[in-house]
Amino acid sequence: MIQLFHVSKNFGPSIALNTIDIKIAKGEFVFVTGPSGAGKTTLLRLIFGAEKPATGHILINAINLNRISRSKLDLLRRKIGFVFQDFKLLPKKTVFENVAIALEVTGLRPKVVKKKTHQTLRLVGLAEKEKAYPLSLSGGEQQRVAIARAIVKDPLILLADEPTGNLDPDLTREIMTLFKNIHQRGTTVVIATHSRQLLEGTDCRTIVLNQGNISGDTR
Amino acid sequence: MGLRFYFLRQALLNMKRNVTVHILSLGTIVASLLILGAFLLLFGNLSNWLRQWGTALSMSVYLKDGTSAYKRDKIDSFIRGLPGAQIRRFISKEDAMNELKAALREEAGFLERLTHNPLPASYEVVFEASRTEEIDPEKIKQQLEALDGVEEVQHNRQWLKRLEGVLDVVSLIGYIIGGLLCLCVVFIVTNTIKLTIYSRRDEIEILKLVGATDWFIKLPFLLEGMIQGILGGGLAILALFLGYLAFSAKKIYLIGPAPLEFVFLPVGYVAIVFFLSTVLGIIGSFIAIGRFFDV
Repeated sequence: MIQLFHVSKNFGPSIALNTIDIKIAKGEFVFVTGPSGAGKTTLLRLIFGAEKPATGHILINAINLNRISRSKLDLLRRKIGFVFQDFKLLPKKTVFENVAIALEVTGLRPKVVKKKTHQTLRLVGLAEKEKAYPLSLSGGEQQRVAIARAIVKDPLILLADEPTGNLDPDLTREIMTLFKNIHQRGTTVVIATHSRQLLEGTDCRTIVLNQGNISGDTR
Repeated sequence: MGLRFYFLRQALLNMKRNVTVHILSLGTIVASLLILGAFLLLFGNLSNWLRQWGTALSMSVYLKDGTSAYKRDKIDSFIRGLPGAQIRRFISKEDAMNELKAALREEAGFLERLTHNPLPASYEVVFEASRTEEIDPEKIKQQLEALDGVEEVQHNRQWLKRLEGVLDVVSLIGYIIGGLLCLCVVFIVTNTIKLTIYSRRDEIEILKLVGATDWFIKLPFLLEGMIQGILGGGLAILALFLGYLAFSAKKIYLIGPAPLEFVFLPVGYVAIVFFLSTVLGIIGSFIAIGRFFDV
């Protein structure tokens, strides 16, 4: 599903990723961990096509991101859900509109958009808040809106960058249960986190990054 | 179907969110197009008047002072023998002076100081409109001037050529001003759309991140420019029509006693103004999306 071959990325003189190789199979649940600045966010952004590697190749579902056209990348992104660390919600749009936007861009009929958005909001436990605006929600609720937007289009891959970064332990468990449910539906899930609590006792594959290098992989 | 409505809804939402900018921009577009429309209206009517005046042929035959009644009868008969000619009236020297005094009103006092009446007696001759094509006014002028007792003959087509020359210059100036106003409209629309794009930059980023194609993002902005053009064109035509109604209520006595008919722009011209404003709106927004945001 996701393959990285000798991928490097640097921002000026600073090396974010240093010639790494990773293979993630379809339906896997993977944690990417490491200290701040280890390259976790960069790795997710490379997989998402938001950054281009300095060297190496990235294949998503057998499509080489180095050779993909702009329009095909847009289409590929419809198959990838991304939960951003800062949520990236639109404050002037309602919860419903924030989630529906991911379906509207695919050109689905409004009826279908409405139905799927309702279903997803129910799944993340926000059915009652669909008319609310993001700024009136708690941190955990905002996070769930961001997750709903990422999964509403039934993505093949779900990428999440520090999804429990600002949440208390109860909310963290709640969000993780949500990711597990999504994973059980067949979605490949990759979560970048530096939270020890999240990794304790997990039997999921964990890739450890340190200063742009892979220092551990439980595969 | 749904997607088309989505684009339209987005475009209208963009306008609603930046309503002040759009109203200001619309006002400037309407003003620009109104100037352009007013010019077309004026130019169209001037051309019409000139055409009407050109198809009608009239002559003034001025007589020498002291022309005898016998000579006048001969001139009279000659004129009546011309194809399609009718003597509208004979203006004696006294009548000419009285008309001049009436025209000058309060300023007519200086005419009292004249020791003799310098104005000539004249015939006002008109030709049937159906026969003006077969008449050579220059030839008739020469024939009349050859008659004993005729001082000078003037016909309206002498003036027509001069006025046509003036109209050519006016139309050239009109084209230049029109071109500049069109550029102005494009510039205004471009900047308005740029501001809208800027105000929606966060949304654009998210749209890209969830897989929107470039055109999915650009199309509402293009529609926005088009709507501005349509509204601008429509309002400018409406304002021009209201102005026309107010202006056309007064009869225009430009030349002679017959009032000239002041008509509104023909449907074709209205369609051109409307189409032009729409196209200018699209061009303006096209430049904005091409230059301002590279999604």
